[in-house]
Amino acid sequence: MTTTSRHETPGRTPRPASTSTGEGGAFSLGPGKVPPARKPGPGAYPWAMSAAVAIAVLGTSLSLNGVFRGWAWLVPAITTVCTVAMTLAVLRALRAHALLITLGGLVSLAFILTFTFFRQQSIAGFVPSRETYVQFGKLLKRAGETVVSETAPVAPNAGIVFVACASLGLVVVLTDALAVPLGMPATSGLGLLAVLVFPATIKPQGAGLLGFLAAAVGFILILGCSQWFEPDSRLQTDNPRGTGQLKRSAVIGAVALVLGLLLPLAIPGFERGTFPVGSRLNPWGVSNGLNPMITLGNSLRNPTGDGRITYATSSTATVYLRSVTIDKFDGDTWAPDDREASRRVGPGRVAPDYPLPSDLVRQLTVIDTGQFTSPYLPVPYAPTAVNGLSGRWSWDPETLSIRAEDTNTRNQQYTVYSALPALTSATLSQDNARPTSISQDFIQVPNNVPDIVKNTAKTVTAGANGNYAKAMAIQSYLRSPQFSYSLQAPVQGGYDGNGLSVLADFLEQKSGYCVHFASAMAVMARLSGIPSRIAVGYAPGHSTGVTVAVAGQEPLPEFEVDARDAHAWPELYFEGAGWVAFEPTPSRGVVPPYAADPASAGGPSTNLHDENLTPGSVTPQPSTSAVPPLAGPGGGAGTSAGFGTALYVVAGALLLAVLFASPRLVRSGIRARRLKPPRARRTGSGGGTAPAPPRDGPVLAWAELRDLATDYGVPPVPSETPRHFAGRLRNSAALGAPAASPSGAADDAGQQAVALLTVDFERQRYGPPTDPAADGASEQANATAAGRIAAVRSGLRRNARWFATFRADWFPPSLMSRWFQLVWTPFRWLGGISVAAARRLAASWQSLFGSIRWRR
Amino acid sequence: MDSKRHGTVDEPLLRDEAVVALPPERETLNGHKLPVMDPAQFHAASEKILAAINKVIDGKAEAAKLALTVLLAQGHLLVEDVPGVGKTLLAKTLARTIDCKVSRIQFTPDLLPSDVTGVSIYNQSSRQFEFRMGAVFANIVIGDEINRASAKTQSALLECMEEHQVTVDGHSYQLGEPFMVVATQNPIEMEGTYPLPEAQRDRFMARISMGYPDKLSEIEMLETHQAVSPLAKVTPVVTSSDVAAMIATVQQVFVSQAVKEYTVALGRATRDSARLRLGASPRSLLQLLRAAKATAALDGRDFVLPDDVISVAESVLAHRIILDRKAASSGDTPHSIIRAILASLPVSQDAGAERRGS
Repeated sequence: MTTTSRHETPGRTPRPASTSTGEGGAFSLGPGKVPPARKPGPGAYPWAMSAAVAIAVLGTSLSLNGVFRGWAWLVPAITTVCTVAMTLAVLRALRAHALLITLGGLVSLAFILTFTFFRQQSIAGFVPSRETYVQFGKLLKRAGETVVSETAPVAPNAGIVFVACASLGLVVVLTDALAVPLGMPATSGLGLLAVLVFPATIKPQGAGLLGFLAAAVGFILILGCSQWFEPDSRLQTDNPRGTGQLKRSAVIGAVALVLGLLLPLAIPGFERGTFPVGSRLNPWGVSNGLNPMITLGNSLRNPTGDGRITYATSSTATVYLRSVTIDKFDGDTWAPDDREASRRVGPGRVAPDYPLPSDLVRQLTVIDTGQFTSPYLPVPYAPTAVNGLSGRWSWDPETLSIRAEDTNTRNQQYTVYSALPALTSATLSQDNARPTSISQDFIQVPNNVPDIVKNTAKTVTAGANGNYAKAMAIQSYLRSPQFSYSLQAPVQGGYDGNGLSVLADFLEQKSGYCVHFASAMAVMARLSGIPSRIAVGYAPGHSTGVTVAVAGQEPLPEFEVDARDAHAWPELYFEGAGWVAFEPTPSRGVVPPYAADPASAGGPSTNLHDENLTPGSVTPQPSTSAVPPLAGPGGGAGTSAGFGTALYVVAGALLLAVLFASPRLVRSGIRARRLKPPRARRTGSGGGTAPAPPRDGPVLAWAELRDLATDYGVPPVPSETPRHFAGRLRNSAALGAPAASPSGAADDAGQQAVALLTVDFERQRYGPPTDPAADGASEQANATAAGRIAAVRSGLRRNARWFATFRADWFPPSLMSRWFQLVWTPFRWLGGISVAAARRLAASWQSLFGSIRWRR
Repeated sequence: MDSKRHGTVDEPLLRDEAVVALPPERETLNGHKLPVMDPAQFHAASEKILAAINKVIDGKAEAAKLALTVLLAQGHLLVEDVPGVGKTLLAKTLARTIDCKVSRIQFTPDLLPSDVTGVSIYNQSSRQFEFRMGAVFANIVIGDEINRASAKTQSALLECMEEHQVTVDGHSYQLGEPFMVVATQNPIEMEGTYPLPEAQRDRFMARISMGYPDKLSEIEMLETHQAVSPLAKVTPVVTSSDVAAMIATVQQVFVSQAVKEYTVALGRATRDSARLRLGASPRSLLQLLRAAKATAALDGRDFVLPDDVISVAESVLAHRIILDRKAASSGDTPHSIIRAILASLPVSQDAGAERRGS
């Protein structure tokens, strides 16, 4: 579908005058007047093309639905896109210069944006002024804030909608520029892809089927329109502008689309079928600054494990790195509350504003964040001081979460001093008083808690006496076998994310991942009167086997975590003990000793996975055998790791074997098909609508001979006649040159076979048509052709060295070169496009300047 | 139609001299009324002719074969080379091997068109104008040093070559069949000459240059041609009707769609070439294909291969194309450019596509 060989911009192509009186006649002199006989107008082309572009861009923008909440943003988007497209169409109908059309599109974009968003601050309602610029800055800032602080789907405020509309308008101009003046409609899909990337990376479930289909349909429309009006000059058809072109383009596009959708199924690693899926397309792999609760699911599903953090700790217990907490449980989505008013600057000394017990266990942790990027600093709870950070940081005395003010966590190395009360189940169960020294933020129960959550909380904590007992009851309920850990179930069930409604779904389905378990426990704890919040960070990672020397300390063991260890857990407040972490998520993290269920003897595990994860609850080293989350939901239940590995190895070996053998298999398949008797071939290939020219034996045998020669190092030259090629082959060393060969007779067979095959092929291809009735004869001829090919082959093999024979057998050059060509085609195509684009740009630049000079 | 035309020419002279040579006529030839030779006969006849020529001219088998090709393809031959390499000898030998009427015109600046075509003379006794046929009324016309004649004389030959007829005083006189003009030209000593214009060069099917013979051939030539003129020994080996049948055989040679496409692609490549100011004309492609057919027939085939086209392409096309000034100054020759184009032009050998000629 390359359409890059145009020589003229379609809008300027001379067209019959009659068509210009159609839709394009809007600019003609009058209804009764004959259009002037100068240059014929471009007709319906600009209008159809602009409509196609507008439809494509708007259709693609439908996928933004999950990024913005509701549909309110769609109206300004439609206005913007339609205005820009209309301007382009009008200018093109007026036959303006190609560069001017694009510039006009940009100007109209500026006007319509001003009209929509800055009507008050502009001249005459649409011309931008200085005030517009000020307001523009404000809107941009607001959009930036939205991106950083809010979670998808965001409420469509003016800032973010302005950015969206401006981007869509630019995409229209870009798509149009690629499709029409540059004459490369196939590349106009890039513009649509640019739109599609946003929902694909931001929305947890990818761009969605609707947006993707709309984008595909729009793309096919663009291709169809450009092909309809300006068919490829290489397709020399008599009727260039027929619906046939449109149909053909649409069919080709549709086939390519279906292939594109089917291809991921065949590629290992693409475990989910639909193509644009966020967790896969996200190249950053780490928290992108949006809500950490939202990105957590994506991080866990990310098979690559980006955002590696290493830490060395003096702690003997497992260390959870905590970034931020979430404590407001109302609203559609939960997000960290930064408490801007009470934040304090500088994490040099951190102290909570609630009382802590005196017997503290002090630890030192050295952390290197590497490429991990987030505004929130991962530290072990509860930090008392952080040294070595660069940039300005602030901390929240209520949650002890540390946040960057003007920087982020990328490439930070810092030392955290933390202190945690020595907790036991005994001390915790003493606390039964209602908490007093704590903010209401952590106690408030939202109004709209679904009934199922309330009822479950009531049932679970019914027999428990005291806050600790209640908390333990909730934790053991969530760790009971009726709940299962699954990264995929929430996505499939449509309750991926967080919020109260999600919680209700989770308690019904009883399948989810840490976010669901943690929020369930936190909400149920509040319902039972225990202050709670959700901590987001990392579960204990695996040992790297390295020790880190720290001044004044013994060498500390080093651990690492990455995106796959992202975790959320509840923290509950106990008067006198402070905030205490629990672990309700089965198969993740380590249950702290104070929260271990005394009822279950072999540790707090509830399923097989858990056993792997928590090798004795007080092992000083965090689990080194953390199961990779890839094995995750489905396979996790029954397969042991060893068996799985064996399976992978066997499958890999098989795949390798098939791949290795496939050139040989394909090659011999091609040979067999070519030398098959004609009758079988005909029935095999039957069913075509048009009577295909009969592919006769000698021609196929000749193709086989050419490939055979290629395999053994005598490739045919395109400008060679059959006779010349045959002569070269016969005289080459590959077949044993007639004079040089000492073993005369045998090699002569090969020589003779080549000569006979050549004569047959020449007669077939260049000779007068033979009597088609002689079918039996041709069948016989085919058998002889097969024999001759065999003779040539044996001759070639006899004279070839072992390496050439091996190569011809296993990696036949005739096939491999074709495959390489296929693989290289997109790259060559891209190269061609960029060269053509540069040339066209230079040409239109020159012509524009030329015309200006001429007018002056 | 043809017979009517003949009816108007009722001069005794015409009957006496030309009629013997005139049949087989063109129209009948094209109507395939003549017996077509079978391959063996054709091969034997062509071998006889070539052997006879090669006996006279040593070491010039290629040139001889090309001359015969042009004869069988009903074209005209332009032999261009320095003096004394046997241009005229080749033309004469070819003419003598065939039992037909041969005339020779030595072109000079004062040669008049009527000397070539013929002139009407008033016959006192019959009180009528009688047409005296010029030198062109023959089967093979040897035009020696054609560039020495004035432009109008040269162009008088034009009509004869293209139309195979002569028009004098409003009468058209049909020329003999086969009819072939073998002109020689001397590329040096150009003073006072009238080089053939492009249009006229285009009417020659092929241009060959003889080149010097190799050492052995030259020694042999010195030995054998010392005493007697080699031409004296040449006797006709085929009759003119044999040649007509051979021409008919050549016309029957099959040309497949693939070869037609290849020929057209070759022509287009010369027109698209940046190094050429003038590419091959459609007429030249027509003649190229006719020459290829003759080559195929001489090779004993009844169909044309791309090889046939390639083998005659240089001789047929080189004198028709005009080099770009830049290419000419950088040392390219028409021959080198055609060779380059042939080397880069793909010969489609795919199993698919339209293989069959219509």
